Amino acid sequence: MLPETVMDFLNDAARQAGTVVPARDESLFQSGLLDSFSLVDFITLVETECHIKVSDQELRPELFDTIEKVESFILNAAQAR
Amino acid sequence: MSCYIRGVGAFVPDRVVTNTELASFLGTTPDWIEENSGIRERRWVRHNESASSLAIEAVRNASRHAGLSADQIDYLIACTLSPDYQVPGIAPFVQRALVGCRSIPAIDIRTGCAAILYGLQIARGLIESGAARFVVCCGAEAQSKGLDLRPESREISMLFGDGAGALVLAAEQDEPRSGGLSIRVEDILIETDGNFAEDLLVRVPGSANGDHWLSEDQLERGLHRGSMQGRTVILQAVRKLAESAYRVAERNGISLDQIATFIPHQANGNLLRKLSKKLGVSESRVVMNVDRLGNTSGASAFLAMEQAVREQRIEADSYSMILAFGAGFTWGAALCRCYGRSRV
Repeated sequence: MLPETVMDFLNDAARQAGTVVPARDESLFQSGLLDSFSLVDFITLVETECHIKVSDQELRPELFDTIEKVESFILNAAQAR
Repeated sequence: MSCYIRGVGAFVPDRVVTNTELASFLGTTPDWIEENSGIRERRWVRHNESASSLAIEAVRNASRHAGLSADQIDYLIACTLSPDYQVPGIAPFVQRALVGCRSIPAIDIRTGCAAILYGLQIARGLIESGAARFVVCCGAEAQSKGLDLRPESREISMLFGDGAGALVLAAEQDEPRSGGLSIRVEDILIETDGNFAEDLLVRVPGSANGDHWLSEDQLERGLHRGSMQGRTVILQAVRKLAESAYRVAERNGISLDQIATFIPHQANGNLLRKLSKKLGVSESRVVMNVDRLGNTSGASAFLAMEQAVREQRIEADSYSMILAFGAGFTWGAALCRCYGRSRV
């Protein structure tokens, strides 16, 4: 599960896009919740709220394309700590 | 011995291409282009213009601004990713056009939009080592000739414009004219991460393309046009530019609050706004020309520097910082301090 603040970010983005948060395996980009620029803020929020650091090599949009992928990333980062 | 910027110059083609004109090719609306890029118009070269023809005018303007004659130039550095020809680069054509210029070294560097920083680093090394007294460094692009104007390429093709800018760099003992420009290059940080080399590239012509560096099949597949993983570029650019700014400020014992003017590569208006937010600086301290010139790649930070001087945004005894990010990925920051200024 994503932290509440991260889900709040996605819920706000969904409201602004006039849509709803997509299923866990559906693209956050294709659903209109994230674009190139809001992704910057989203990843910063994930880093802050989950106390993880996304390395330069991991800073690729395909790793944050779905809620499922974001959860998996956070889990792996936490286990690697 | 220190390295000073003594003159700045710019030149842009007179052909203005508005979003309205471009939208008709790209199958979109003028508003969509502006909303996604912050660009309202850009300049494109005419058929008889090229990267070198723009660079020549920018270098002449910078030399005039510095009070430098062509025979005084010791070294010429040209930055472009849209050269007149595959070989040679544009620097020899610029050297040839400068009446009185001696047979000085004239080189091209190919670090895309971050080229100004690499050019400054080379120029600074030449000057500080005593190998050259006056170095001219220019950035020029005529990349509109390579754009794919079909709807499927609109996210790239809406961005790019043409233009050129130039800097005259000199050693400290060569005092500027009374009231002239005197901006010392205090520090330069440049870095590269080749893991992202294929995220922003023009693949053809090239020797990594099998048996031939250019084939009909490659042309049909559009491999001679630029390709870009836009989201990756933006993610990496915002992070690397912000980190570079903080690192350079810190190692020079200053805070970003002490930097009066930021002079970034003009990638995209939205990216520049995101960057200013990340740096915690107001947009009024960030020089912007992307709205009227588009992304002029290797020329853009040169053009922004000329604009900053022309608009008197670089005051005496103030710091400014050049920030750039480009293909490679390459990126970095240069900290400058002004000791005098002049109008362009």
